[in-house]
Amino acid sequence: MNRLLLILPMILVLVCSSAQARDFSDTSADAKNEISAGSPFSQSKLIPDISLTLDFSCLYRNVSDKKYDTLKSPEFTLASTDEAAHGHDIEEMNANRGFNLNYAEITFYSVVDPYFDLFAVCHIGTDHAELEEGYFTTRGLPLGLQLKAGKFLSSFGRINEQHAHNWDFSDNSLVYKFFFGEEGLNEIGVRLTCVVPLDFYLMFGAEILQGENEMSFGNKGFRSINGAVDRSGSQGPDLYTGYMKTSFDIGDLIVFTGISGAAGKTQNNHGLDYVAGTTTGNAVSADSYIVAGDITLRYSIDSIRYVSLQTEYLYRRQDGTLYNRDVLNNVTISDLRKKQSGLYAQFVAKLSKRWRLGCRYDLLQKNEVKHNGMNAREPENLPRYAGMLEYNPTEFSRIRLQYNHDLSKYEYETGTPGRKLNQEVIFQYNLAIGAHGAHAF
Amino acid sequence: MRKLCITLFILLFASSAYAGKMKVVSTYPYIASIVDHIGGDRVRVNALARGDFDPHTVIPKPSFISKLRKADVLIINGAQLEIGWLPPLLKQSNNPAVNPGSSGFLDLSTHVKLIDVPKSISREQGDIHPDGNPHYYLNPHNIPLLAKAISEKLSECDSRNSSYYKSNCRNFITMWNQKTSQWDSKLAALKGKQVIEYHKNYDYLLRYYSISLAGTIEPLPGIPPTSKHIESLEKMISSRNISFILMDVYNPDEAGRHLSKKYGITFVKLPHDIGAVPEANDIVSLFDEIVRRLTK
Ligand SMILES: [Zn+2]
Repeated sequence: MNRLLLILPMILVLVCSSAQARDFSDTSADAKNEISAGSPFSQSKLIPDISLTLDFSCLYRNVSDKKYDTLKSPEFTLASTDEAAHGHDIEEMNANRGFNLNYAEITFYSVVDPYFDLFAVCHIGTDHAELEEGYFTTRGLPLGLQLKAGKFLSSFGRINEQHAHNWDFSDNSLVYKFFFGEEGLNEIGVRLTCVVPLDFYLMFGAEILQGENEMSFGNKGFRSINGAVDRSGSQGPDLYTGYMKTSFDIGDLIVFTGISGAAGKTQNNHGLDYVAGTTTGNAVSADSYIVAGDITLRYSIDSIRYVSLQTEYLYRRQDGTLYNRDVLNNVTISDLRKKQSGLYAQFVAKLSKRWRLGCRYDLLQKNEVKHNGMNAREPENLPRYAGMLEYNPTEFSRIRLQYNHDLSKYEYETGTPGRKLNQEVIFQYNLAIGAHGAHAF
Repeated sequence: MRKLCITLFILLFASSAYAGKMKVVSTYPYIASIVDHIGGDRVRVNALARGDFDPHTVIPKPSFISKLRKADVLIINGAQLEIGWLPPLLKQSNNPAVNPGSSGFLDLSTHVKLIDVPKSISREQGDIHPDGNPHYYLNPHNIPLLAKAISEKLSECDSRNSSYYKSNCRNFITMWNQKTSQWDSKLAALKGKQVIEYHKNYDYLLRYYSISLAGTIEPLPGIPPTSKHIESLEKMISSRNISFILMDVYNPDEAGRHLSKKYGITFVKLPHDIGAVPEANDIVSLFDEIVRRLTK
């Protein structure tokens, strides 16, 4: 907290000084001095860049929707009934057999003034809408610094920052989905990045975030029914991330690699105080750490074709306390230590202007969970295999066929839990209108 | 943490210390070549995109960010040719000196008259260029306008060397005008001829020399040829006297070669930028080579 108090005034001073120091002689006026027709007060030239993306899919799955909801990757999945009870409103992509309107996404972007850019993304599902991102970035900080503040996708790792329509597959990788949830590590906070002036790309960044992500962090606090356990939750930001990313070219090969870390408090309630019905519940209070490493290799064969290989490894450690509520509402307290990891590796080839294909290997690897020092012997090394074929009529439309061979799910309804093969065929349409979206690497 | 900060600061100051020359970054190699002629040994210029790849769909390499990060001046082609790749890189480079609107930024398209500015814009018409055709630099008569704009920008950003840049610019334009009159007399022979292009890359050149464009191999901008479209082209070809099929170096050339073979039309692969073919290694030889290939 002390450090935070030191950093904030520094940032403010930087913003103000850069705002004063720079004299903006307006050279853009001569650029396009067109006379706009119509009203002399027309502001149509000041409309921000707006785009709309729509994602629609048709899905076949070998298990029924009802059964699919009960399948879990042990200790990675949070119980769905508890999630429902706590108002997780992000719909899962490709959730149902048959047709899915996954989302519509409206993006707004514009320069605010010489000092700030503003960016907002509204994520609209079939029955709710939310502000997925809404942030500003600075334009004029010295020393290659940039400040971002608002609600945004953390730059932790490689794909966390990417919106779903930029993914190479129809769904997120398993490890991201289980560590950060359906929409990734998306938090309210501030980010400071620095691009170092070297002959190769080197970027450092750090974020101070509110820490609301309930898959790994969460700060709402909890209270047991009889009041014996009472955690008030945190007062203020308690999630910190940092990362370093670098990239260089070897001939026609682009190498992009990075390491990331996140540390935060976890205060998660999964039904400790949930009374309706007779279900059990639990809550976790812990210190959580996640580290990640990623590397992307992309080789350009010619102007149109390329092959790319991308892999990312994430490791999560949680040390804390587990509060278990039984059917009689008695709470038992135990020491909880989790060490979990996962990775994905994907290969994508662009064969021509319109065709791409790819395959992905997902693995939930380590799954060591200890209660009071006793290893719960949860299943480890849970894989999923995916293959996709993509047809892009233009830059603005994409049709993708994907097959998932998922061996990461367990069935708990039958007496002894057993692995359940889950096969999916996804036929996805992704279309965009409006402002030309330029893709980052 | 403290060590890291110290190292960072050393790196920052070290890199600004060896900066004697002004650092110019251009989006395409042809711009870098003009900058070379005008900036001489007082500037160091780097082009981002490759001259042998499609200028519309440049891969946004992270290494471009480090080049933009250190740039004193950024010169772009503009007219939305860079729209699909440059904006996020510019944003990530955190360099206020080269943001659009600041003194270290130059959009060359604002110094020429653009043709084919669409009256109505819809992507029904493919990936159209909403500000007009951005391939204006492929008419040699536009190059002096660009040279002047570059010379003014360099003088503005580095006023100590202003007279140096201006005299280089004068010399360049004198040399260029001599070359242009040679190209003019050679290309005059093509007046009134009809050609087919793959994409509307060479329209500025065609119009200036009164060569008429009979059709394009791509049915709409950015959309690969379909058999239906080729059929309609064939119908058109059989009723007209087409002299050339002009092809860039980066798009698939099967359709063009097919038409050339079937109807006995000369197939010409033209460089669109420096490095597209080995002979085109600077702005002068780029046009030498275009003219040579068109008139051989
Ligand atoms: Zn074009």
